[in-house]
Amino acid sequence: LEPKALPRPLSGDVEPKSLAQMYPMNCHPRFLRLTTSAIPSSQSLSSRWHLPLGAVVCPLAEPPDGEEVPIVNFGSAGIIRCRRCRTYVNPYVTFTDAGRKWRCNICALLNDVPGDYFAHLDATGRRIDLDQRPELTQGSVEFVAPTEYMVRPPMPPLYFFLIDVSISAVRSGMIEVVAQTIRSCLDELPGYPRTQIGFATFDSTIHFYNMKSSLTQPQMMVVSDLDDVFVPLPDDLLVNLSESRNVVETFLDSLPSMFQDNVNMESAFGPALKASLMLMSQLGGKLLIFQNTLPSLGVGRLKLRGDDLRVYGTDKEHPLRLPEDPFYKQMAAEFTKFQIGVDVYAFSDKYTDIASLGTLAKYTGGQVYYYPNFQSTIHGEKLRHELARDLTRETAWEAVMRIRCGKGVRFTSYHGNFMLRSTDLLALPAVDCDKAFAMQLSLEETLLTIQTVYFQVALLYTASCGERRIRVHTAAAPVVTDLGEMYRQADTGAIVTLLSRLAIEKTLSHKLEDARNSLQLRIVKALKEFRNLYAVQHRLGGKMIYPESLKFLPLYGLALCKSAPLRGGYADVSLDERCAAGHTMMTLPVKKLLKLLYPSLIRLDEYLLKAYAEADDFQSIENRLPLVAESLDSRGLYIFDDGFRYVLWFGRVLPPDIAKNLLGTDFAAELSKVTLCERDNEMSKKLMRILKKFRESDASYYQLCHLVRQGEQPREGHLVLANLVEDQMGGTNG
Amino acid sequence: MSEFLDLESQDGVRMPWNVIPGTKQESTNSVVPVSAIYTPIKPFPAMPVLPYAPLRCRTCRSVLNPFSTVDYAAKIWICPFCFTRNHFPPHYASISDENLPAELFPQYTTIEYDSSLEKPTTPPVFIFVVDTCMIEEELSFLKSALSQALGLLPDHSLVGLITFGTFVHVHELGFSSVPKTYIFKGSKEVNKDQLLEQMSFFLKKPKPTTGVIAGPRDGLSTESIARFLLPASDCEFALNSVLEELQKDPWPVPADQRAARCTSTALGVAASLLGACVPGSGARIMAFIGGPSTEGQGAIVSKNLSEPIRSHKDLDKDSAPHFHKAVKFYEGLSKQLVHQGHVLDLFACALDQVGIAEIKIAVERTGGLVVLAESFGHSVFKDSLKRVFQLGDYELGLSSNGIFEINCSKDVKVQGIIGPCASLEKKGPLSSDTVVGQGSTSAWKMCGLDKATSLCLIFEIVKKEIPDATVQPTSNQFYFQFLTYYQHSSGQMRLRVTTLSRRWVAGPGSLQDLIAGFDQEAAAVVMARLVSFKMETEAEFDPIRWLDKSLIRMCARFGDYQKDSPSSFSLSPRFSIFPQFMFHLRRSQFVQVFNNSPDETAYFRMILNRENVANSVVMIQPSLISYSFHSGPEPALLDVAAIAADRILLLDAYFTVVIFHGSTIAQWRKAGYQDLPEHQAFAQLLQAPRDDGDQIIKERFPVPRLVICDQHGSQARFLLAKLNPSATYNNEAPLPGGDVIFTDDVGFEVFLDHLQRLAVQ
Ligand SMILES: [Zn+2]
Ligand SMILES: [Zn+2]
Repeated sequence: LEPKALPRPLSGDVEPKSLAQMYPMNCHPRFLRLTTSAIPSSQSLSSRWHLPLGAVVCPLAEPPDGEEVPIVNFGSAGIIRCRRCRTYVNPYVTFTDAGRKWRCNICALLNDVPGDYFAHLDATGRRIDLDQRPELTQGSVEFVAPTEYMVRPPMPPLYFFLIDVSISAVRSGMIEVVAQTIRSCLDELPGYPRTQIGFATFDSTIHFYNMKSSLTQPQMMVVSDLDDVFVPLPDDLLVNLSESRNVVETFLDSLPSMFQDNVNMESAFGPALKASLMLMSQLGGKLLIFQNTLPSLGVGRLKLRGDDLRVYGTDKEHPLRLPEDPFYKQMAAEFTKFQIGVDVYAFSDKYTDIASLGTLAKYTGGQVYYYPNFQSTIHGEKLRHELARDLTRETAWEAVMRIRCGKGVRFTSYHGNFMLRSTDLLALPAVDCDKAFAMQLSLEETLLTIQTVYFQVALLYTASCGERRIRVHTAAAPVVTDLGEMYRQADTGAIVTLLSRLAIEKTLSHKLEDARNSLQLRIVKALKEFRNLYAVQHRLGGKMIYPESLKFLPLYGLALCKSAPLRGGYADVSLDERCAAGHTMMTLPVKKLLKLLYPSLIRLDEYLLKAYAEADDFQSIENRLPLVAESLDSRGLYIFDDGFRYVLWFGRVLPPDIAKNLLGTDFAAELSKVTLCERDNEMSKKLMRILKKFRESDASYYQLCHLVRQGEQPREGHLVLANLVEDQMGGTNG
Repeated sequence: MSEFLDLESQDGVRMPWNVIPGTKQESTNSVVPVSAIYTPIKPFPAMPVLPYAPLRCRTCRSVLNPFSTVDYAAKIWICPFCFTRNHFPPHYASISDENLPAELFPQYTTIEYDSSLEKPTTPPVFIFVVDTCMIEEELSFLKSALSQALGLLPDHSLVGLITFGTFVHVHELGFSSVPKTYIFKGSKEVNKDQLLEQMSFFLKKPKPTTGVIAGPRDGLSTESIARFLLPASDCEFALNSVLEELQKDPWPVPADQRAARCTSTALGVAASLLGACVPGSGARIMAFIGGPSTEGQGAIVSKNLSEPIRSHKDLDKDSAPHFHKAVKFYEGLSKQLVHQGHVLDLFACALDQVGIAEIKIAVERTGGLVVLAESFGHSVFKDSLKRVFQLGDYELGLSSNGIFEINCSKDVKVQGIIGPCASLEKKGPLSSDTVVGQGSTSAWKMCGLDKATSLCLIFEIVKKEIPDATVQPTSNQFYFQFLTYYQHSSGQMRLRVTTLSRRWVAGPGSLQDLIAGFDQEAAAVVMARLVSFKMETEAEFDPIRWLDKSLIRMCARFGDYQKDSPSSFSLSPRFSIFPQFMFHLRRSQFVQVFNNSPDETAYFRMILNRENVANSVVMIQPSLISYSFHSGPEPALLDVAAIAADRILLLDAYFTVVIFHGSTIAQWRKAGYQDLPEHQAFAQLLQAPRDDGDQIIKERFPVPRLVICDQHGSQARFLLAKLNPSATYNNEAPLPGGDVIFTDDVGFEVFLDHLQRLAVQ
C-alpha cells in the first residue's frame, strides 16, 4: 500500500449530503452523523461491513447565524412524548384520527394528542398548524422543560477556580495570565446576574478566599490539615459575582503578587480537590483546575512514572496510560454526582501524570488543556484565548443525554467524556459546543423488518439563563439489504472519529502496537470485503478499490496511527503529551479531528509577495498541499495548521527580504527563540491578517505560531516532518 | 498590727506567726500553720538594685545577706542556713565593717541584683486569642477594647492574633497582600510539631533532622516567626483592619444549640505557636472569651441547650460529664505553658459560664490575670484591660519568666505554695513530704508575676521536742531566704533576694511570745487560702466544721478563761478580731459556694490566691464606711444596724464597691438638692464616698464593679448580702434602720456565744 497513491483529503471534512436529501427533516449533520446512512437489515450484513456502526453526536454544535435551534415552549400542554418509549414529538410522527391521535415513529404506539396541542388535519393528513410547529418540521428543536424535569431549582452557572501557586506555577507566569484572563471575562461569564464564582489556591496547603460582598478585600484562609480537609466558612467562599464583583476584582488583581515570593515546591492537589468538592457540592458547576506541580502531598499524591523505556512493548506498557490511583476516578464519580464538570489545565515542565489528572475531566464531561513547559511570554496568548473561550462559551449545566433509536437496533457503547448513569444515560455536569460523543450501534435481532430507523438525541440541561431545557435532534435513516449500499452511504468522518476513540481506548488496555494493528486490520478487512463484492464483476485482481465515500479512509487510518496517542513507542511522544492528546481526541467533533489527523499545509511566500493582494484575497492561499516532504520547496514559506497550532516553515533559501520583513532583526537568529509579532511593513501585516482569519474560522482552540527554519534539527523533525504523515519517517520509530 | 505592716513594707512578707512555734508539736498545737504571704516583686522605692551578680554560699547556694556572720579580717562569711564558711572573692577585698557592700546592710534584707545590663533585652510578646461566637454588640465592644489596648502596647512588643469559634484562625499579620489566616478544626488538638508543619515554618529553611525545633536559635527562621508575631508598631494597621472586618463566627447555630466554641483548641494552638516561636522568653496569651466552650478537649458542656452548664451541685455529685476531661486538658496545657515560660490571661465576659473553673489551673499555674465580667461593654472588663497596659502610678508592673526559690534553716521544711505558680519538682532536703498546693520542690516557676502577686508559703517545723532543756540550742532564730529571678517589665533579668529571720520559741511559757507575734490578718488570709484549697482537693471536706474546729482550738489554746466558764472568756487584742474574720470567712463566697457558679467560685479563689493580705481581708470581711452630716467618714460595723436613712455607706467587698444612699439621702438627691447653692454641704456629702470609691477602683485589679444604690432599691442587695444579719426575720422587732435580712445564718453574736462556750470546755 503506497500512501502517495491514495486520494488526499485536501478539502478537509466534507459532510455527507445524501441522507439530508432523502430525509430533509433530519437534524443537521453538525449535530449527528452516522458512520453509514444505510442501516443494515441483518446482523450478518452488519458483520460483513467490518467498520463500526454508530454515530457521532455533538448536541450543542455552534450553528451559523440564522440557523439557531428554535426554542419551543409547550406551556400548559406539557412536553409531547410517546407514552411508551418516551420519544419526543418530532417531524416523523404521524397524526391520525382527525388529529386526535399521533403515532410514534420509533415504537409505533398510538398516543392521544392533548387538548392544548390539538390541531385539525388537512386533506393530506397534515396538521394545519404545521408552519407554526418547528418541532414537527425541523430535526433540531429545544423544548422548555416544565418543573417535572427538575429535581431541584435550576442551578446558576458556577465557576470555581482551583489554582496551583507552588513555586513552579509562580515562575511560569501562569497565575498572572489566569488571573488577568478571568478578570477580563467577568462581564461575559454566562448567566448574569445569577453567576456564582469562587477561588481556591494550593501548594502544600489549601487557601480559601472569603469574598463576602461587604468586605473591602478578600480574606485568605489556609487549611493545612491535609488528612482531614474541611471548608472553613459556611458561605462566601462561593459568591454571587454581581454582588461581590469588587472583592473578586481585588482578588484577581492581587493574586499574582500574593504568591510572587512563594517558595513552596509541594502540591496538595488531592486534598485541594476534596475541598473543592465540599464547596461545590451544594450547587454543582464548573471546576477549573490550574495545575503545575505533580501532586505530592496527601490523598491522590502521584509518583514519577513513565520514564522507563523498558516497559514499552510489554504488558506493563498500558497501565502508564491509566490513572495510577483509584482516587481520581472516585473523585470524578463524586464530581459527576454533584453536577460538577472539571476542566484540567496542566502546565508542568516535568512529568505531571495527565493519565491520572485527565480522569477528572473524562468522567465529568470536562476537558484537558495541556501546556507543557508553560511560559507566559510564549504560551500566554494561547492560554488567554482558550481559557476565555472556556469561560464565555455557552454552557449547558447539570445535563443528561440519551440517544434513542428504533426497535431492533440498540446503542451498545459510548465513547467520550461523560459518566454513564444506567445503561444509556450520559451524565454531563457541564457540556458545551466543543464536545462530541461517539456511540456504537448493534442489531438486536437477526433481521430488521422496518424500513427506516429513527434516531433521537435528547439533552436535558439547565441553560445559563436558568431555564431547564431539552434539546432534541431527530434523524431518520433507511434500512438496506445491500452491503454495497452500506459502503456507498458510509461517512468517513464519522467512521474515523469512532475508530479514533476505539483505538485510543484500546491503548488503555493494550500496547500501542496492538491498537495500531487492530485499527489497520479493520480498515483492510473492510476494504477487502468491498473488493470481494466487486472483484468478480470488475475483474480487478489484486488492485485496491474503494467506494468514493471511503476514499480517504486509508490515509486517515494511517494518519491516526501516526497521531500522538498512537504513534511509535517510548521515544516518539512523551507520556503526558500522549495522554493529553488522547483526552483531547476523545472529545473532538468530526471536523476538528480530521484536521488534526491530516493538517493543512499551505505555501505563503508567493501570496505575501503579491503587491496588489488586498486583505480579503484569501482564495489563492487556500490551496492545501499533500503532507509529503516534496511539497516543501526550499525557496518557500509554508504554514502548517492542524487546528491546534501553526508552524511557519522557512525554506533554507527563502528570499531574505521575506524573512527580514516578517522577523525583523531576528531573521537570522535561531527561530526557536523568536516569537512572531506584527512589524511595521505590509508583508508582516498581511501575514498577521492571514493568521487572524485562520484563527477566526477555528475558534475552539488558539493556534500558537511556531517558527522553524528548514534544517533546524531536531525542531524541524518534531514540528513538521513528523507530521508529514504520508512520508515513511512521518512520525514513527516503532 | 503596725509592726507587721512595717515588716511588710520592708520585705513584702506577712506571717501569721512572727514568733515561731519552734517544734513540730508546738506548731501543730498552734493550729494556723507557720506560713507567709509573700509578694515577691513588691516595689520598694528605697531598695537598691545592685549591678553585679550575687555572692552565693558554696554549699547551699543561698545568697549573702545581712544575717551572714562576716569575718572582715579573714574575708570570710558564714552562711546562716548551713553554717558553711565562705571566702569572699577578690573583688570584695576592700570590705570592712565601715565599708559594707549593700547586701550586708542590715536594712537591706530585701535587695535586687541586675547583672544583665549589657545583654540585649527581649521584647514582651502578646498573643490575643479572641472568641467570635457572640452577638454583634458584644463583638463590637470587644473589638473597640482590643483596638484601644493595641494603642497602649509598647511599640517594640511583639503581637499576634488568633480568633476562634467553630474553627481556630491564626492570623498571619505579616502577610501584606490580603488578610490571611491559618485555620484549624475546633474539634482537633494540634501539637507543636503539627503546627510547625502545617503553618509552613520549614519552607525557606528546611526542618532540622534532630533536636528541639523552637525559636530562631534552634532551627526556625526569624522570617517565618515574623509572619505571626510582629512588633506592635509594625502591625497596628494590619491588626486594626483585621479587627474592623472581624465577623462573628459565621457558622449557623440552631435555635436549640449553643455555638460551637473551641476555646481549648484555640488556646492549645496559641500555646504551641508561642512554644515554637518564642520558647523561654516572656509571652502572654490573652484570651477573650464570651461564652461556654462546647468544642474540643476543653468543652465544658455539649452544644445541646437542653443540657445545662455544670453547677456546684453537679460537681459535688460528680455528675458533670465534661469536667474531668476539660480539667485534664488544661492541666496538660498548663504544663506546656510552664515549660515554655508563657502566661495565660483570661478575660471572661458573658452572662453564661465560660469554663473558668476548668481553665483555672492553666491561668493560676502560669500566673495569668483573670477578669470576669458580664459583658465586654462593662467597665469591669474595659477598665481592667486598660489597666493591664497602663503605665504610671497604677501600672501592674507585669513581669515574666520568674523562678522562685527558697532556702530555710534546717529545722524548717516547705510543704508548698498556694498561689499563682507551678512546682518545678526540684525535690530537695527542705521539701516536706506533706504537700500543700504546689509542693515537693524548693523551686517554682512563675511564668507571669506582677507587683501585687502574693504567694502563700506553707512551712513545716520538723524540730523535735527537746525533753530536757539542759542542751541549750545554739540559736533561736530561723532564717528564710526567698529568691525570685524574673524578667522585669523593662526586659532585664533581675534577682530579688529577701532574707528573713524569725525567733522561735518552745516549751511552757512560750505562749505569750507566740501571742505577741500573731498577725491575725495574715492568719485569716492563710486560713482562707487553705480552706479554699482543701475544698477543691479533698473529697468530702466539710469547710464549716474544719473552720469551726480550728477556731475553737485556737481560742482554747490562746484564749484567757476559766475552764467551763464561758463568761470568763477573753482574747488578747492580738487575737480579738480573728473570730470575726472566721465568722465572715464562713459566710464568704470562698466557703458558701452554692450561691455562685463554679466559674465565679474559681474566679474569686484565683484572685484570693494572688492578692496581698490587706486586699484578701477585704474579700473575707468587706469594709464599711459610713458618711453623715454628724461626723466625718467613719468605719461602721458590717451589720445591718449600720443602715440609716440619713447616712451614705461605702462598702468595699473587693469585687464590688457599693455606695448606698439611705432613704432620706436618696430622696434629697432625687430632689436635686445637691445642685442648689445653699446645699453645698449635701453635695459634698454625696461626693465624698464617690471620691473614696474612685480611689479604691483606681488601685485595684481587676477593676471592681461599682454599684450605686438606694435603700429599698433592687440593687441594695449588693450591700445587704454582705451584712451581718443581726436583724433577720427571725427577730421580733426590726431595728431602727428598718432593714431586715432574709437569712437563716446565725448572727455574729450567736456565733461568738457558741464559740466561747465550746472554747472553755
Ligand atoms: Zn414510542
Ligand atoms: Zn549555705
